[in-house]
Amino acid sequence: MITISHDEIDAGALIRAAQRPEMGALVTFVGTVRDDDGLEAMELEAYEEAAHEELTAIRDEAMERYAIDSVDIVHRIGRLEVGETILVIVVGAGHRKEAFPACEYVIDRLKQTVPIWKKEYRAGDETWVAGEAGSRKE
Amino acid sequence: MKVRVRAFARFREIFGSEQVIDLPDGAGLDVLLKRFAERREDGRAALFDGEGRLLSHVVLMHNRRRVGDAAVSGTALADGDEVAVFPPVAGG
Repeated sequence: MITISHDEIDAGALIRAAQRPEMGALVTFVGTVRDDDGLEAMELEAYEEAAHEELTAIRDEAMERYAIDSVDIVHRIGRLEVGETILVIVVGAGHRKEAFPACEYVIDRLKQTVPIWKKEYRAGDETWVAGEAGSRKE
Repeated sequence: MKVRVRAFARFREIFGSEQVIDLPDGAGLDVLLKRFAERREDGRAALFDGEGRLLSHVVLMHNRRRVGDAAVSGTALADGDEVAVFPPVAGG
């Protein structure tokens, strides 16, 4: 499942949905809004059609590179408060040795290529988060 | 021909989320970007340096495919195309 959603993400439900009898490992990454230097809220914006395509491509890359059985990614957009879940990645595999690096690969690639942006709100201040990568020259 | 330009994040705040720009047939991405920039008072400074070069942190997609730095001037457009303009990504 690859989803960009305005709704709260239930990590437990995603893990249960991903589970198959042949999986001995379900490695899950949950990214949340951190209380960072007085952060009050965060607004996430996406180029939704392109972001969905990029997430699908990342899933396909991970499936090719690692001996895993599934990759599910749900990324939230809209306004989030501190502590709320931004995204959940669930990687299912026979063994943890493949699932851990595959999960890390997915989040690292997501941060490099998927067209999603964050705006941080603090008292009297709003700032776009500088992208980690993805300038035109890269 | 008509080309749809979508802007995101900081560029959405400057240009609005979407504009449809009328161009002569055969015009390329470089022509579109200049027309697009001219639509806002501070549009040129947001996208180009003092010598008219596109700033390196302006990311472009043409029909949802990234346009590399070398391809900007050589990308041909067609009626109904979609171009996206955005800053470096920051999801996750």
